[in-house]
Amino acid sequence: MKWRLAALILGCVIVLAVAVSVAGKSPIEALTTLVKGSLGTPRARAGTLQEMTPLLFASIGVFVALRAGLFNIGIEGQFLVGAMTATYAGLKGPGGPMGIGLAILAGSLAGAIWALPPAVIKAYRNGHEVITTIMLNNVASAFTAWVVAGPGKAPDAGSPTSANLPASLNLGNIQLAGVPVSYGLLGGFLLVAVVGWWLSRRVTGYEFRVTGANPRAARAAGINVPQQYLRAMIFSGAIGGLGGAIQVLAYEHRFYDSFSPGYGFDSLGVALLAGSQAWILLPAAGLFAVLAKGGTALDIFGVPKGITIMVLGMVILVVAAIRYRREDSVE
Amino acid sequence: MNNVGELLLIALGLSTPLIFAMLGGFASERGGVINIGLEGMMLSGACMSALVGVAHGPGWGLVAGIVAATSLSLLHWLATQVYRVDQVISGMAINATAAGATNFLNQKFATGASSTVFPELPYQLLALGSVIAVAVVASRTRYGLQLVAVGADPTKARLVGLNPVRIRLLAAIATGLFTGLAGNYLVAETGVFTDNMTAGRGYIALAALILAGWRPVPGLVTALVFGFLSALSIKLQGQAVAGVVLPGEFWTSVPYLLTVLAMAGFVARSRTPAGLGKF
Repeated sequence: MKWRLAALILGCVIVLAVAVSVAGKSPIEALTTLVKGSLGTPRARAGTLQEMTPLLFASIGVFVALRAGLFNIGIEGQFLVGAMTATYAGLKGPGGPMGIGLAILAGSLAGAIWALPPAVIKAYRNGHEVITTIMLNNVASAFTAWVVAGPGKAPDAGSPTSANLPASLNLGNIQLAGVPVSYGLLGGFLLVAVVGWWLSRRVTGYEFRVTGANPRAARAAGINVPQQYLRAMIFSGAIGGLGGAIQVLAYEHRFYDSFSPGYGFDSLGVALLAGSQAWILLPAAGLFAVLAKGGTALDIFGVPKGITIMVLGMVILVVAAIRYRREDSVE
Repeated sequence: MNNVGELLLIALGLSTPLIFAMLGGFASERGGVINIGLEGMMLSGACMSALVGVAHGPGWGLVAGIVAATSLSLLHWLATQVYRVDQVISGMAINATAAGATNFLNQKFATGASSTVFPELPYQLLALGSVIAVAVVASRTRYGLQLVAVGADPTKARLVGLNPVRIRLLAAIATGLFTGLAGNYLVAETGVFTDNMTAGRGYIALAALILAGWRPVPGLVTALVFGFLSALSIKLQGQAVAGVVLPGEFWTSVPYLLTVLAMAGFVARSRTPAGLGKF
């Protein structure tokens, strides 16, 4: 098996090297451009941290569900409806901290509600959560597109977008080594710590992990497995929605059509990299953010941005080959 | 009457890629391999069809599209069957790889010219014929029965001497062939490739397959219904139905919502292959 893995990794490296040379650039140069464009200047670092924020929140959501054995592909949709709901809650609600609280609550709730059908269908109808969440992602993008183009469109806007949130709803940031760090991102760090602590130190977290490791053993041990599935999915969806709300409050200050360039999908890769350790979400989200931010620099450099997405796909495949192998049958 | 005929023609056109991709999904999932990578395979098929089609004509474009989709399908087979990667994860990875690679290749090599293309009617007839062929193969031939057996219970299939990994290999090639055709057809409509031009059709095809209970002929019906719905949404843009104007996004969402209901057991009886996702 060892040599097979080596072959897989080697294959990926070759594909990428070929792709970069096809673009007419040297691989080393491309790599330096990527690193410089994402970490080289304070401005680039700020951009990378901004990219990291939605990835971190969404991947915490995926991670939680994954620990209970569920694959929440629906995080993209939950993120979208969370962001949209938070925006309109912010527009209608009071300004200042109260408004921020309301928007965060509304976003999380919307995410949880969006995750509810897959949760119920998984828990009580034994329907695969992957299928239902994929379908609801598509519904979410159609639904949010309709809202910002129709009933929720800002009256004077030329494109499908909501009105801008008042400045009092800006989450704000602190300066660290000359780089602005949003309180939203700091909240994400905190959430990682809380989720990690909860999963490893609390009984309810333990029940989650047992269910994920072996649902039959969990049932034998007296754990209500459907209930765990229900909780995991709703919890995961709420975090996804929260991520959407944070994205609006910290960075975007409005909601528009095609709000997410695929944060939900990238976050699946982040969560897979993290495996069973919550804290690994931080470097993993950081890595993906570097690729996303550096990809823009690559694009300007003359290597199309798609190559970073290709890298992500291959990273996911290799990590999965190492870590998520199925062992449930003999050959 | 003329209007109705026109509507049905549009519907058939919109259904054709769904039918091909649905058959691709059938080959894979009937053999027990979850395949959410249909979208990426279609996308790669479309991209290569357009790029090679511009340079060397539509015939080579078709070949290149099928080869590209088949490579990804074989990658899915390799990952899930040899490396035993979780099938959902592998499918996702394939979608990401395809999205990235097609963006990359298209930006590097697209000349702005559009490919000459084949007429659409032969594709549509081929799609209908393929459904019959697949249905016959799956239910009447030795290989088809073996594939269904492997998809129902790979462990028992092993006990009677079948090799699921090998049997799924041929199915993976069929999946590549059909998703490649689906992607090629998208290019045959427009002659050019645009980023993410499949726009979720792979998932709709999966929805059609699931709603049809993983059976080819009912799958044809659901794919045609979905195509008809999209045709309606184009025709009805802004027009009132029974006094209510339904937005296009509503019609877009109907297939997905129906699938969720089906998964909940409200629309169709669940006929999921028992060995789906099992190794």
